[in-house]
Amino acid sequence: MANEKVDVVVVGSGASGSVYASVLAKAGKKVVVLDNGPDRPLTDLISSDIWGRRLKPAGGPILLGGKNPFAYANQGAYAVGGAALHYFAQFPRYLPTDFKMKSEHNRGHDWPIGYEDVAPFYDKVAEQIGVSGDAKAEEKWRPPGKPYPMPPLKIFPAGKVWLKGADANGIHLIPMASGMNSTTFKGRAACIYDGWCADGCPIGALANPLVTYLGEARKAQAEVRGLSNVTRVLTNQAGTRATGVEYYDAQKQRQVQEASVVVLAAWSAQNPRILLNSATDKHPNGLANSNKLVGKFMMTHHIAGTWALFDEDITPHMGTVGAQFMSYDRYAKTSYPGAFGSSFMSAGTSHKTTDYAQSRGDLFGPALAAYMKRAARGLTHLTIFGEDLPNIENRVELISDKDEYGLPMARLIHSFDNDAVALWNANFDQGMKIAKATDAKECWPGKGPVMPTAHLHGGAIMGTDSSNSVTNSYGQTHEIGNLWMAGPCIFPTEGASNPTYTIFSTALRGAEQLAAHWGSVAG
Amino acid sequence: MNDIERRAFVKGAAIGTLAFTVGAADVMLTPRQARAQNVPLRTLTADQAATLDAVGETLVPGAKDAGITNFVDQQISIPPEQALLQARILNVRPPFANFYRAMLGAIDGASNKAKGHKFAELSPAEQHDFINLMRQNKIEGWQGPPGPFVYTVLRSDAVDVVYSTMEGYAALGIPYMPHIAPTKKW
Ligand SMILES: Cc1cc2nc3c(=O)[nH]c(=O)nc-3n(C[C@H](O)[C@H](O)[C@H](O)COP(=O)(O)OP(=O)(O)OC[C@H]3O[C@@H](n4cnc5c(N)ncnc54)[C@H](O)[C@@H]3O)c2cc1C
Ligand code: SF4
Repeated sequence: MANEKVDVVVVGSGASGSVYASVLAKAGKKVVVLDNGPDRPLTDLISSDIWGRRLKPAGGPILLGGKNPFAYANQGAYAVGGAALHYFAQFPRYLPTDFKMKSEHNRGHDWPIGYEDVAPFYDKVAEQIGVSGDAKAEEKWRPPGKPYPMPPLKIFPAGKVWLKGADANGIHLIPMASGMNSTTFKGRAACIYDGWCADGCPIGALANPLVTYLGEARKAQAEVRGLSNVTRVLTNQAGTRATGVEYYDAQKQRQVQEASVVVLAAWSAQNPRILLNSATDKHPNGLANSNKLVGKFMMTHHIAGTWALFDEDITPHMGTVGAQFMSYDRYAKTSYPGAFGSSFMSAGTSHKTTDYAQSRGDLFGPALAAYMKRAARGLTHLTIFGEDLPNIENRVELISDKDEYGLPMARLIHSFDNDAVALWNANFDQGMKIAKATDAKECWPGKGPVMPTAHLHGGAIMGTDSSNSVTNSYGQTHEIGNLWMAGPCIFPTEGASNPTYTIFSTALRGAEQLAAHWGSVAG
Repeated sequence: MNDIERRAFVKGAAIGTLAFTVGAADVMLTPRQARAQNVPLRTLTADQAATLDAVGETLVPGAKDAGITNFVDQQISIPPEQALLQARILNVRPPFANFYRAMLGAIDGASNKAKGHKFAELSPAEQHDFINLMRQNKIEGWQGPPGPFVYTVLRSDAVDVVYSTMEGYAALGIPYMPHIAPTKKW
């Protein structure tokens, strides 16, 4: 079934897709946003770790492989608003070194743009959706920029207890930059520090797409269709232009949405799958893939978490699910001898009972029951994210298993290299040194046989031309001018900072470029 | 947000219980209520239910009465995208019912082989030792999903019904502070 042709169809309504929808709808374009998840009202965001699981994918179409499989369902989304509906909204930015890994270290890639190209968009995003933090304090590590529109979020004891240990190790902790409101912002409520963010914040204190860019897009007449599973991008006979997308609606009926421009913003796992599944005789390897770089260079952060247990009541339940403090003091890519890559530190998040139980996964029976009581008073956590280098073997590829519409599912294959493992170990040592220098009664590394992962990047990386990349720095594919990619899929390296502030900012840069050059792109 | 707004949200929420089938009708109950009312199981057999009750109770004291078996049974009988199980987050490939059958089968198979009895028939001390070995992947001749993974999944379910409810928070003395409460205590 064909729908009326629109100017632009955006696939995915999360962090990146919502930005495109907002900018283009406000520019007067007719926008349709398709998302495979349900369109839940804010009043459906129940404060419960159990009910919050409804917001995550359940099974396919991405299967996992490699030595260190990516935590796909934990990090993915099944809802309009994407993973950004239930993220932690830690908003550190990338540093200048992240854009120049190849020229500075002869490793990985350079981005075709520098920090200075993205920086104005960090400032714009902060003004548009609200960021709380202390920009001046961040300037210890990065070039100056505008102050954030809101002061930092409140500090609670479970965060404060880390200051002593960090200080003893020469590590400077500053308030976390956060996409949560420390004050009311543009009519949205201020945070009340109950820590339910990961299950969705129904009061709008968290900058999720529903209350920011997607909300604005809707006001500007963009149409959002939930339960719309996009399977392929369609192209003209010559293979030179995207003509729209094929999708399956809530009744599992095949639909076609024609559009002058197609923006794929379905996250790093699904974006490459859609491109690969869109193969035609003119594009036998899939779209934008003549150099076979689609689905390649998948990257994820590894996590070294350190737990500390205090005897005194440090109210672990108070605060947001994002950390209260952050530091870039181990961000230099050669911070530790024998390891390579950036590390980003964050300390003191609020916890729920599932976290208490997971913090000592070895305990069960009466020992667990006793531990839960202690954890409820005295548990806190320090997280160090570490960088994974772009490796062409880490990839999304189609497999023979089919989804319910008969299209190939994909496998996301991921293994950490020796550098990443060395960095992970070094970060555990660092975390333990800090924890031991606090007043904690006990501390231990959250280390098991599985290397925990968070955030996904790559799959359609940007570069200077089609010999080294899938898109240009705006996300426009080199091969099909009206097919654009949005989100972390276009990142050629991943730094160690949480990525979404940079996702919003690069998407805004891309969307404004598209709007400004609409005539030449849309034809 | 002021208290009036917060209360408005709480009042507006009318979900949080699960749909259990009693007679021919679906009724909204918590797993604890479903267990107390002896609601018939939809998917698990009586043997599987006995195993799950016993494993749940060994993992987290109180899990049996909190309705772990009714919770899991109801959850594996609904479409996977509606399921609230931690198995979903741990990337278990649906249908979840098959995975639970495989886990429970592996436990009873190994227990039978080692002790000549199903898990539910072992003494509490034997049950504890069995789970401890399973957790460390040290049960010889184990057949099925890896023991440590089975431990993680079922322990999460037991933690869910005992500790991740409003009742569980209250028992630990933690204020629940919901924006939108799961209205009924499970
Ligand atoms: C629990 C959690 C905590 C996090 N915390 C942080 C944090 O503190 N800071 C940070 O920077 N980042 C955080 N992240 C990561 C962040 O949410 C993501 O980086 C970000 O949302 C990615 O943006 P995106 O637009 O690429 O994808 P998403 O926001 O996930 O949006 C993609 C959308 O595409 C849809 N989609 C997928 N496939 C299809 C298809 N075939 N057809 C139609 N629609 C499709 C999905 O349903 C989804 O809605 C967190 C993530 C999670 C899950
Ligand atoms: S802690 Fe703040 S951001 Fe998180 S859910 Fe509560 S009000 Fe929302």
